Amino acid sequence: MDDFKMTFLKPGLHTTVQDQGRLGFQHLGVPINGVMDKRAAKLANELVSNEINAPLFEITLIGPKVEFSGKGQIAITGADLSPTLNGKVIDMYSTISISDGDLLEFGHPIHGCRSYLAVGGTLKIQRWLNSASASATDPKTFTPQSLIEKSAGFHVAIKEKAEIKSIPSSTRPKLPSQLKVRVFRGPEFNSFTKESIDFFFKYWFPISKDANRMGYRLDKILPHFNPDVEVISSGIVPGTIQITNSGQPIVLMADAQTSGGYMRIANILTDDLNKVAQLKPGDLLGFEIAD
Amino acid sequence: MIYMPYGDSAMLINFEQKIDPSINQKVMALHRALEVSGIAGITFLIPAYCSLTIGFDKNVISFSELKSTIDSFAKEEMNQLSNNASRLVHIPVCYESPFKLDMLDVMEHTQLSRKNIISLHTSIKFRVYMLGFVAGFAYMGKLPQSLNCPRKSVPRIIVPEGSVGLAGLQTGIYPTEAPGGWQIIGRTPLKMFDHDNASPSLLQPGDEVQFKAIDKIEFDAIEKLQSVGEYELEVCNG
Repeated sequence: MDDFKMTFLKPGLHTTVQDQGRLGFQHLGVPINGVMDKRAAKLANELVSNEINAPLFEITLIGPKVEFSGKGQIAITGADLSPTLNGKVIDMYSTISISDGDLLEFGHPIHGCRSYLAVGGTLKIQRWLNSASASATDPKTFTPQSLIEKSAGFHVAIKEKAEIKSIPSSTRPKLPSQLKVRVFRGPEFNSFTKESIDFFFKYWFPISKDANRMGYRLDKILPHFNPDVEVISSGIVPGTIQITNSGQPIVLMADAQTSGGYMRIANILTDDLNKVAQLKPGDLLGFEIAD
Repeated sequence: MIYMPYGDSAMLINFEQKIDPSINQKVMALHRALEVSGIAGITFLIPAYCSLTIGFDKNVISFSELKSTIDSFAKEEMNQLSNNASRLVHIPVCYESPFKLDMLDVMEHTQLSRKNIISLHTSIKFRVYMLGFVAGFAYMGKLPQSLNCPRKSVPRIIVPEGSVGLAGLQTGIYPTEAPGGWQIIGRTPLKMFDHDNASPSLLQPGDEVQFKAIDKIEFDAIEKLQSVGEYELEVCNG
C-alpha cells in the first residue's frame, strides 16, 4: 500500500509527463508546454482524486507497456488506444484498482490521438521552472524524467485510498475526426484578402503528417494569399493559426515557440483547442467565427 | 496602444509597429509594471519588439476587466519606469576559428575586413528587444547598415551552443544547440541559458549588451571558470 511503483517496459511512440505547463517564463522564450487536451487530463486526475493540475502521462497514438508494483489506482481518459490490464480490456473514464504485478498495455488506436494516464497519489518527479512538463527544447537535459524512455521508473506516494469513480458514457467527451472549431479573428485578420478569408471559413483542412505538440501544419494552401504585410516578430499563444508565406496554415500548440513573424489569421478558443489536440494526420479541421 | 483579444485567454497590445528603441522601451516599461502589479489572473507575459502579449485566466479576469485595469494604472507606472535605465551586460566573444563559421561569407557580403566586422560588432551597445525562438535566445539590434547581411539560404541543421550570429540588422546568440540560418561570426564561452538556475536566462528583455573580442585562450579560460561558478559577469546598472 505505501510503496507504489511503475516501470515503463516499453515507452510507446511519444509518452511524456505533462501538467498545467510552465507558465510565467514566456518572456525568456520558454514555451508553455503542458497537457494538450486539458479537459481529458483534468478528468483523469479527478478520477484518481488528484489535484486537477497534477502531473500525469500523455500518451500519443501508440501506448506504452507499464508494470506496476504495489497497490494503487489509475485512470485513463482522452484517446481510446485500446488499453488492457493483464490482457483484459479495461474501462476508460473510470478509476481502476491496481494490484501488485499488474501489466498495463495499449493496442490499436480506436479514436483520438492523445490518451491521459493518471496515477492516484503524488508522482515523484523532478520539476523544472515550476513544472513537471517535458520541455520542448532539449528535453533530455532540461526535464530528463519527463520524456519517457524504455525502463523509466516512477515512485508514487499514495495517500489514503480514494473512492472509485466513473464518468457515465453519455458525458464522456466525443473525439470526432472531423471537427469545426470556434475562432476569434487574429491580430492580422484584416490584412487578409476577402478571397483568403472566405476560403478559410468555407473549406475543410486536412491535418498533415507534420503535426506534433509544437504545431499542426494543415494540408491546404490559402489561395490569393500575398504576404505583403510585414509582421514584426510578436508573441505567440497556443491556438494561434498563422499562415506561412506560401499560404499554408499552421495551428500552434502547447510546445510552440513563444514568438513568430507570420501573419495570424485566427485564434482557436481554448475549449475547442482541447478537441484539436485529439486530431491526427488525415483528420479534418474547419473554422467558424465565435461571437 | 491598441488592445486586441488574442484568442479567449490572451490579449495583444500593439504599439506603433516599428523596430525602434524608444518604442521597445515602452513595451518593457509596461512589461515590468505588469510583472510587479500583482493583477490576479495574469498567467504570462511576452514582450516583443513593439507588442506585449498577456496571457490570462478567463475564469479569474475578463478581457475588458484586464484592459481597464491596465488603462487605469499602467500608464502612470510606465512613465516612471521608462526613465529607469537598463542593465549593460558585457559578453565575451571569440571571433576566431573554429567558431567563425560564416565569417568569409559575411566579409564577402559586406565587403568589410574581418577586423572591421569585429570592431563594428564590439563597438556598439545593442538592445535586447525580445527573447524567443528557443529559450534564452535574445534578439538584439540594431546593427549598422554596413553589417546588414541576409540569413543563409540553406539554414544549418545544427548551430552550436554559444554561436553569435547576424541576420539582417539583428544579432543574436544561440543559447542551446538549435537549427538556424543566422550567419555565425563567433562564439561566446558564457552559458546563456542555464537550466539549473532558477533565473535561467543570462539576458533579460530590455537589457543592453556590448560584445568584447577575446582569443581562444581566454575563451577556454572563461569557459573553465564558468563551469566551476567562478566567472564574474561584467554588468553595469545604468
